Amino acid sequence: MNERDNFILKAKRIKLIEETKLKESSSMEVNKMDIDDRRKSNFSSLGPLSTSNGSISRGNSSNNAKGDIRKLVIKNFKSKPSLPENYQEHTWQKLKEAVVAIQTATPITYCLEELYQAVENMCSHKMDSQLYVNLTGLAESHVKANIRPFLAERIDKLLYLKKVNECWQFHCQQMIMIRSIFLYLDRTYVLQNPTVHSIWDLGLELFRDHIATNSTVQSRTVEGILMLIEKERNGETVDRTLLKSLLRMFSDLQIYKEAFENKFLIATKQLYQAEGQRKMQELDVPEYLKHVDKRLVEENERLLHYLDQCTKLQLIFTIERQLIAEHITGILQKGLDQLLEENRVADLSLLYSLFSRVKNGTIELCGSFNAFIKTKGKTLVIDPEKDKTMVQDLLDFKDKMDYIVCNCFERNEKFSHSLREAFEYFINQRTNKPAELIAKYVDMKLRAGNKEATEEELEQILDKIMVLFRFIHGKDVFEAFYKKDLAKRLLVGKSASVDAEKSMLSKLKQECGGGFTSKLEGMFKDMELSKDINIAFRQYIEGNANSKELAQFYAIGIDMTVNILTMGYWPTYPVMEVNMPPQLVEYQNVFTKFYLAKHSGRKLQWQPTLGHCVLKARFDQGPKDLQVSLFQSLVLLLFNDCNEMSLEEILQATNIEVSFDGELRRTLQSLACGKARVLTKIPKSREVEDKDKFKFNNEFTAKLFRIKINSIQMKETNEEQKATEERVYQDRQYQIDAAVVRIMKMRKTLSHNLLISELYKQLSFPVKPADLKKRIESLIDRDYMERDKDNQNQYNYVA
Amino acid sequence: MHFLGMDDEDKSSDNEQSKPDKMFTLKRWNSVAMWSWDCSTDTCAICRVQVMDACLRCQAESKKDATNKDVTCVVCWGECNHSFHHCCISLWVKQSNRCPLCQQEWSIQRLSS
Repeated sequence: MNERDNFILKAKRIKLIEETKLKESSSMEVNKMDIDDRRKSNFSSLGPLSTSNGSISRGNSSNNAKGDIRKLVIKNFKSKPSLPENYQEHTWQKLKEAVVAIQTATPITYCLEELYQAVENMCSHKMDSQLYVNLTGLAESHVKANIRPFLAERIDKLLYLKKVNECWQFHCQQMIMIRSIFLYLDRTYVLQNPTVHSIWDLGLELFRDHIATNSTVQSRTVEGILMLIEKERNGETVDRTLLKSLLRMFSDLQIYKEAFENKFLIATKQLYQAEGQRKMQELDVPEYLKHVDKRLVEENERLLHYLDQCTKLQLIFTIERQLIAEHITGILQKGLDQLLEENRVADLSLLYSLFSRVKNGTIELCGSFNAFIKTKGKTLVIDPEKDKTMVQDLLDFKDKMDYIVCNCFERNEKFSHSLREAFEYFINQRTNKPAELIAKYVDMKLRAGNKEATEEELEQILDKIMVLFRFIHGKDVFEAFYKKDLAKRLLVGKSASVDAEKSMLSKLKQECGGGFTSKLEGMFKDMELSKDINIAFRQYIEGNANSKELAQFYAIGIDMTVNILTMGYWPTYPVMEVNMPPQLVEYQNVFTKFYLAKHSGRKLQWQPTLGHCVLKARFDQGPKDLQVSLFQSLVLLLFNDCNEMSLEEILQATNIEVSFDGELRRTLQSLACGKARVLTKIPKSREVEDKDKFKFNNEFTAKLFRIKINSIQMKETNEEQKATEERVYQDRQYQIDAAVVRIMKMRKTLSHNLLISELYKQLSFPVKPADLKKRIESLIDRDYMERDKDNQNQYNYVA
Repeated sequence: MHFLGMDDEDKSSDNEQSKPDKMFTLKRWNSVAMWSWDCSTDTCAICRVQVMDACLRCQAESKKDATNKDVTCVVCWGECNHSFHHCCISLWVKQSNRCPLCQQEWSIQRLSS
């Protein structure tokens, strides 16, 4: 009973839906028929039960024997009621007339309720199967007859489509109407016999079998539809409702896939294949991408408006394949570099979103992105001409690429990883130089007088620099150059900000560990200690002002400070002996004595190259304070005694040139040929020659009172730089040694290969296996480890 | 007295002339000196690392036990005036109580502080 009810309810729902399409029948009628239908179907199922069992009352009378007095007895009819003769033929005739009237769209002579009743009656009297057969026949012959106009003359495609659509619409309406009349048949006979189709399905089947699958009709219709779609793709406006209706028809007839979809997809493929190739030729990449995007939007609209949703996946796939996947390499080769170069954010975003639609799209894009960075980066790094701007260029380049990854490539992890990998690759294409320049860049930023940045900006710059630093393989090269510059900043007191220095140091420590920065920290410590020593020294002199030696000393009035550096922490400087005025030598000796008394077991090495002074100078135009190096002041002080000196004489007096090639010439050059010419060279020229003479320039004038005379630096490309690199390589040996000992101490025994791979993990600079082998040999010689007696490839740690 | 001369007199080094106005006077002097352990050799003969640096074993160690407080590798002078890392020579004398350089009997003169 329940099952049956469910069926009926379901059927009713279907009916209601279809009923709404049928504009002719009023809603009132629908409701009424509905209710009737439900009630009667319930009764009818009870009907046969009650008649065959005789009376219901019998049971009742016996059960209610006690309380009831009156009895209601229902008896069977005496004679069984029979149908009038020819009832079946007669009724069918009536129904047939009605059906034909519907089919020919003429008014029905009978009222609908009467017809419905007739169907119900026929069904109740077991004429249902015959009724169904009759109805089928009637419908079939009508549908068959309908095909004729579609086979006949060739007419305009659009008109043809319209006709097909019209026929289909009409057929549907008819079938709904017929079904409404024969609803009872539909609900009883059809439901009880699973093999027969419902009336609606019957209608569909007939239409499909006789019209839609007719090869002429089908091919013509599909052709027409495809033509319309192509027109629309070419930008024309077409009747979308017509398309929608026809495609709905195919779907309803369940021949959408075989009749339409396949052909449609093939047509789509061909169209876009040709279009992809053509447009790739015609358009530049950004335009092409925009075109593809437009196409995708259009096709999605098409799906929304008339195509069946089941086509979506394949349709979009076909377009993506033909317009994107087929041209991945083409697009990347033709346009990616340009887009990246010109920073075309919007186009790159589009490129990414399109490429992420197809298989391998982002992988290919990522690969090309990587290649672009490598090539472009290499040009920034490799050319010595561009050294001056290299670091700034790298920073800008990194910013740009980061921005693109963030904003165009959706922060894709793969891309940012690839970006880092590419940077690491190209920055190490040139050994040492990038590390050196990065160190110098930091120096420039940290040096005093650099007012272009506030503390926060400086901090940001340092953070960015650290990113570049991370890519550098030879971190020790950076350290060496950084140290050299740091030394200069500290000794000349030219550091812009102690906070910034400390912050940079802590960044380096964080990145490379305490071992990397311990010496740099030591340098800062030395500066602190020197302050204390100078205070103590001053107190010492003041306290001993009575003693003869120190009394003289105290009276000189030179403000002397000494920076005491720990050897090993600082870069190595050339040691040279120069002739200094005896007072200064005396001064140094007093200090040395004082210092060594405080720190036994030490020795002091004076570094005249690093000293600097303030000289008071009296020119005719007024006194000036000159900030000069120790060498410069040694030369200038000579002119207190004589007005004119030759190079030879100055050399004799100062002894500067002897121990350090070119230093004296550079010193004189800075004094006589630079911006502030406190000496006059005879004859005047830019270079200092052997026979040149020098005079004190009494006419010297300057706007400022304090004048800094920069000493001319030796060209760094030469020895100094080589020396720094040399030192780096020397330090590397110690680092390798230390690492080997560290590893061996922990592992006790280790095979050669494992030791080498451990070493590569620990060392922060590039090194060749052969070099490692040499260090291992050296450690074996020094009894830190030994080869295993049985296995030549195995090492043992020697405690 | 010649220190004073530098300030007031013309001739700084020789003190011979005494013109009233000197052209250059030294006002401030910032000098730099490098200190190192007073050793005959710069490198420790045992580990071949400069005595100013920590010995090889200590360098290897320092990264590992970063938590240990800064254990500086001190320098040790023997009576023979030869100097080594204290760590290196302590290990050495376990095998032979002689200076590795001059074969004299080893006895510690002083340690760096």
